[in-house]
Amino acid sequence: MSLLKPFSKLPGLNTANILLVESEEQFQQSLADALVEETSVTVNVRLAKSLPLPMENDESRPRIDLVVFIINLTSELSFQSAEASLKYLDPGYFLGKVCFMVTNARNASSPAERLDAVRKLASSLHCPLLFAEDQTPDGVASATERLLTILKVAAGLVPIATALYVSNLTRCTLPLDIDLPSFD
Amino acid sequence: MAATQNLSDSDQSSVSDQSVSSRSGNRSIRVAEKERRKNEAEDPFVLSLKYFSDVEAGTPFHGNDKLEKNLVQVEKVAYSQGLPPEAVSIMLEFAMSLRMGTSACVRVLKCLIPASVVPQEAVVRAVVWLSIGKMPISTQVLFIKWVLTVFDMIDAKDQLRAIYGFIFNFVTDENLCPFICHLLYLLTRKESVRVFRVRKLLELQSKLGRQPFLLHLLSLYKVFCPELVTLSIPSRMKSGFKNHISPWKSALIAVQKRNGLQGAFSNSLVFTHKDKTNPRKRKHCHLEFPDLIPALNKEARSEQSSSRRVVPLVQLHSFAQLLENMHRIELPAQMGSLLGSSLALQYLDCVQDESALLRLNFWLGYAFHEEFLFCGDGGPSQTSEEALQFLNKLLSAQHFLQEGFSSSEVFLYKFLNVWDGSLLRPQILGLLSNIPVVPSSQIRRLLFEPLMQLFFTSSLFFKCGLMECLNNMLLKWLTWHSIYALEDDLDISLNSHTSINMTLSGFKDSVMELIHFVGRLASVGLQLEGCHCLLLSFVLDFYETVCDTFLKYGLPLIVMPPAGVFYPALFATDPVSVDRLAYIMHRYKVNLTSAKSQEKVTEQVFHISRQTFREFNHYVVVMVNCLWNSRMFHPGMGVQLGEELLLKSNVSQYGSSFDLVHHPAFMSYAVNFHQKCWPGKKDMDLNSIKHSKPWSWYLEYLFTQGYDGLKHFVQSNISWQLKEDDGQGDAQQR
Repeated sequence: MSLLKPFSKLPGLNTANILLVESEEQFQQSLADALVEETSVTVNVRLAKSLPLPMENDESRPRIDLVVFIINLTSELSFQSAEASLKYLDPGYFLGKVCFMVTNARNASSPAERLDAVRKLASSLHCPLLFAEDQTPDGVASATERLLTILKVAAGLVPIATALYVSNLTRCTLPLDIDLPSFD
Repeated sequence: MAATQNLSDSDQSSVSDQSVSSRSGNRSIRVAEKERRKNEAEDPFVLSLKYFSDVEAGTPFHGNDKLEKNLVQVEKVAYSQGLPPEAVSIMLEFAMSLRMGTSACVRVLKCLIPASVVPQEAVVRAVVWLSIGKMPISTQVLFIKWVLTVFDMIDAKDQLRAIYGFIFNFVTDENLCPFICHLLYLLTRKESVRVFRVRKLLELQSKLGRQPFLLHLLSLYKVFCPELVTLSIPSRMKSGFKNHISPWKSALIAVQKRNGLQGAFSNSLVFTHKDKTNPRKRKHCHLEFPDLIPALNKEARSEQSSSRRVVPLVQLHSFAQLLENMHRIELPAQMGSLLGSSLALQYLDCVQDESALLRLNFWLGYAFHEEFLFCGDGGPSQTSEEALQFLNKLLSAQHFLQEGFSSSEVFLYKFLNVWDGSLLRPQILGLLSNIPVVPSSQIRRLLFEPLMQLFFTSSLFFKCGLMECLNNMLLKWLTWHSIYALEDDLDISLNSHTSINMTLSGFKDSVMELIHFVGRLASVGLQLEGCHCLLLSFVLDFYETVCDTFLKYGLPLIVMPPAGVFYPALFATDPVSVDRLAYIMHRYKVNLTSAKSQEKVTEQVFHISRQTFREFNHYVVVMVNCLWNSRMFHPGMGVQLGEELLLKSNVSQYGSSFDLVHHPAFMSYAVNFHQKCWPGKKDMDLNSIKHSKPWSWYLEYLFTQGYDGLKHFVQSNISWQLKEDDGQGDAQQR
């Protein structure tokens, strides 16, 4: 068991590395296929079911610039697995190099409490929380685009912007009770 | 299979025959009918129905093979094509009479998926069975849920309304109450609101607490009879009736989809000439706007005395007719249908009756919730085309009424929190730009936080789209203000239908919050996108609105752009951005001077802070020094660099590197001008343009290229005489 560290290796030239963690391994493959299509930078995608990552590839593994936890809201297991994986990350990652991506948020079979729990988790870790429509090609394309936007900043490819700076703007905020806006 | 298909088709037509006589002359149907009769005897489905209508009470349920066989047969038809009306009647009667006990009843109720319509009589009979009271409570709930699910498919509502009091009695049951309230909400008309009912509901409320379903029903009562309900109802309520994720929903959608396709096909063959005139031939696609259907049927209408005659909207065909019958319009059974008809929208626009809007908002809120926030298993993919049309229609209705519906506003606040930023983007942003002014205390939580998270994680095009949306939102707010502001007490009531009243200062706060928010988004967004000129253009659009708030919209509020917007525009590489910035600065100046002079004349205290003037002056000095005076890095300017650093850069005359000649945006014009001015000259010396005469020609040349913004800016800010030797003036300072 080892911590994944953000700065233990040197970055590659014009390269960004992203790690997709999803216990169900459904969405990550299609995301990965779309992510590597990016042409302006070399994007390496690593897939994992959960953390910690196995020791044997440790040497050959590049520096991971962004860790994405994909959570399927219809499954409690998916959430628990992501939560359990978090402790294998170096605290340095939480300075803007982790984000959560949630699927099926609008599905009738995903309970509102679970979404609240995910929101609480993301906001307590100061991480962005993205929502994705994983069933449609458009949804996958848009999710890819948004991950790339974050990834480029996290990999230091955007001048003047740092991951910490941007994550301060994009981090999830605590859930709010919208049902009762007391307007009067 | 073919036989059952025939059965359901012709049954559909026979039901409509009863009500619409014009259909009877259809030959092909008769032929089909004959064919059907021939096949009927052998059809297992018909035999099964016969079994259910004849079966004796007390026949055992368990281990009854015959029943099992017939039930499976019915279920097969139900899930594949839906049940024709008469089958619905038979099965409902069988189930509700509990002839074979509760478990049979539950199983039958679960497969009651109507193909076209549900006969009203069947529902009324079932309600009668309900009150015999032998049924366990969970089954009763199941039945009411079924009625709610198929409510729109019940062919008429008059008899159901006639037993309103009967149904009302069920509210006393705690388990049934939420569902009964929902049903009553759908059935309530003005006549149904009575003192004793209001009293009963209030009594229930004191017992059960302020339940949303009770509040919703009471609020409808209040709209109809405000004198009877003295209770104060919160202006925005929790989305009222719980979403009944019923076992029928997905099956129903699937059946309708299938039948919808088939229906379209058969329509084109048979009913080509009258498919529009038959109000009963509506499709029940869940997101489609229903046609206008009068809530009463024909007989009931003719019975009513002429003095209380109501006219259903569907019978009106012109605006003149609408005006004549304005006082006795009968609203359609399904409020969503209003959005599809322009006459109905006219009616909504001018009528003061709040019940129409209340019901419409309820319908919309429900539809939004069902289709966008709480999707069934079908998922978003299957509904996207319908959803697109639904939102487009809604948008055009809002555009017509020039205001948003409160239900769409509440929906957006929820939806933004689970949006992926691309699903139906143009429509969602369109709805967003229609929302009424949000109080400044709420605006951050409701709007800014979700939008900011979306903005900074999304692509350039989303950023541009959101900028445009926020610009439209501001434009609408300002327009509302200029229309609804009352002059005397500076109090404005926004949005004629919802009763939000806002003080002028409250409104100003909200607008200011919005402008500052966009300023923040724009500064950081431009930085992240490397000052992309497309994004810059949308940002400048926004500031073109902001700079004219005082003169165009009469709002005494002037906010300057942040440095993060000003400098990227000033140093942009495309001349259009610089020109637009110049225009914006010119408009700021016009607004500020007129505000100041008005302040002097009227002695009215609306305060534009000194800070705003200071910022404006600073920006003008920077612009003039930079574009005109070639004093780029002078001390006291916005951009300061150390002397030695500048020398190190090896740029000679660094001060003039952003004047109108050397500015990267205008360099090509300067070169072009130089060639035209001195055609024979081999070595190009751009500095020679700066002499008095060529300078004025050069300006003239730029202005003829369409740079009116620059022209205005130069004329209003620079006092410049040609006679002066250096040909350069100075900024007019306030």
